[in-house]
Amino acid sequence: MIRLDNVSWRRGKKDNGPVLANLSFAVPQGGFRWLLGPSGAGKSSLLSLLHIENLPTDGQMSILGKTVAQEEKRAALVRLRQRIGMVHQDYQLMPDLSVADNVALPLRLQNRPEDEIQDEVHAILKWVGLGERVDVPATRLSGGEQQRTAIARAIIHRPGLILADEPTNALEESQACRLLDMFAELSAMGTTVVVATHNESLVRRLERPFLFLERGRLVEEGGERA
Amino acid sequence: MSRPFSGRKDGLSLSEALPDRSLFALVAMMGFLAALTLAGASGARALSARWSGGAAQLLTIQVPDADTALTTQNGPSATTTRVQAVLADLASLPEGAQIHQLTPPELARLLEPWLGETDNSALPLPAIIRVKLPPDTTVPAALEQTLNAHVPGTIVEHNARWGERLRALANSLLACAGLALLSVGGIATMITGLATRTGLATRKDIIKTLHGLGASDSYIAGRFAWRTATLGFGGGLTGTLVACPPLLLLLQMAAPFASAPQATPERLLPTDWQALANTIPPDMLCALAFLPFAAAFICWFTTQVMVRLWLLRLP
Ligand SMILES: Nc1ncnc2c1ncn2[C@@H]1O[C@H](COP(=O)(O)OP(=O)(O)O)[C@@H](O)[C@H]1O
Ligand SMILES: [Mg+2]
Repeated sequence: MIRLDNVSWRRGKKDNGPVLANLSFAVPQGGFRWLLGPSGAGKSSLLSLLHIENLPTDGQMSILGKTVAQEEKRAALVRLRQRIGMVHQDYQLMPDLSVADNVALPLRLQNRPEDEIQDEVHAILKWVGLGERVDVPATRLSGGEQQRTAIARAIIHRPGLILADEPTNALEESQACRLLDMFAELSAMGTTVVVATHNESLVRRLERPFLFLERGRLVEEGGERA
Repeated sequence: MSRPFSGRKDGLSLSEALPDRSLFALVAMMGFLAALTLAGASGARALSARWSGGAAQLLTIQVPDADTALTTQNGPSATTTRVQAVLADLASLPEGAQIHQLTPPELARLLEPWLGETDNSALPLPAIIRVKLPPDTTVPAALEQTLNAHVPGTIVEHNARWGERLRALANSLLACAGLALLSVGGIATMITGLATRTGLATRKDIIKTLHGLGASDSYIAGRFAWRTATLGFGGGLTGTLVACPPLLLLLQMAAPFASAPQATPERLLPTDWQALANTIPPDMLCALAFLPFAAAFICWFTTQVMVRLWLLRLP
């Protein structure tokens, strides 16, 4: 689960204005939340906070039931990060690695046995429709293929929390629908899912509770949107 | 066709981020300097040990006209020669002193470099007496006076006077070598630090992504440190090996001074490298063998510290 109490975050120096201001909300384990708001509202910033790429400047935050703060041991934060899957808006693939090696990374960092890794990677790449592209270098993929590689990498290690930043903007309609179905399924199986988007039609396909950000503030928190 | 999986790849591609050219070559040069310095230090240490040990406790006594009868107040003695008188006087030295009069063959060998291998029996040679005092004892201050009063013309040479100076010189050389080694180590640390900083800068985004995927500090620092340590080991080994020929040459030239007198080599280049290698002092050999590992450790440690400090900017 996720809980934020009066969390603020500013970029860099103290005198910068806060990018996120006084956010308070909770998502139960297995919950699904749309993260909505206009471009520049702070959706990506909030996701990077939830991914523990940044720490809150003020307020209390706990992720997957663990308090996240400056004083926390670095090793504890590493273990926590290993239980989160993140699809970045810019994918953040390793340019020197093939599709398969990119997707294998979370498992390799957890020192899983190599034959197990290969089985998992082939299965998931088949599912995202990249079964024929395993050995292609990440730099030679189309935008949609990169996005699907990033999605496969975010879910391969069965994380307890999935964060996705505009995960369908490079996908075709049918692929976007399959992805939403999978997120719904994972959430039903107990994975917490937060998906940021400014695509209203996508939200209408999957009616779930939402958080609406505007200029770094939570202006609306609601149940299912029709 | 490339295989989909290529071992434990993580995308850091450190062979490109930390290329072998610069770091390897610079560490090789440092290794070369360190090897030469070590050789100098080893020589200075041997010198220092020699002069602080046995040599400082040595006395050389020359008795001219050794076999002439001792002149006493009552005229020439019938029973005692001059050298016998000196030997008798030396019995009063501290207990444990070793007194040895050089035999004619020993004397001949000592003088051979100056007089050649001719029959020297015709030359009037003084008797040479070597006295080795036990450690921590001093020569009686009035020894030369006493001996001279008794046996006129006796010369006492106390090696300790030279020993003190040579030992001070050797110790200063040793200190200089230590400082030089420290400087070489410091430069190696700085070179490694700069290389690591460049590597971190070019891999900034990839490190951030890896960190986000759950890579620990020790994993990332270990990957970088392993790379620089490998380069450091290669560089150190190369530098040491390159330093070996000039070192062997120096050793060859120093050999006549270091060991028992032998014929001066006619050629500058040695003919028997194997025999020459055997003359390398074992402590120097150990130090040289240790050099590549020391270089690897310096690189490994510097990189570990640098990367871990850099990673602190990420939560
Ligand atoms: N790298 C950056 N440096 C400085 N400001 C940034 C940077 N990235 C985003 N911002 C600013 O931070 C705010 C939040 O941006 P972001 O979280 O990306 O919003 P969203 O994802 O909702 O579009 C915006 O005002 C944006 O201009
Ligand atoms: Mg964004």
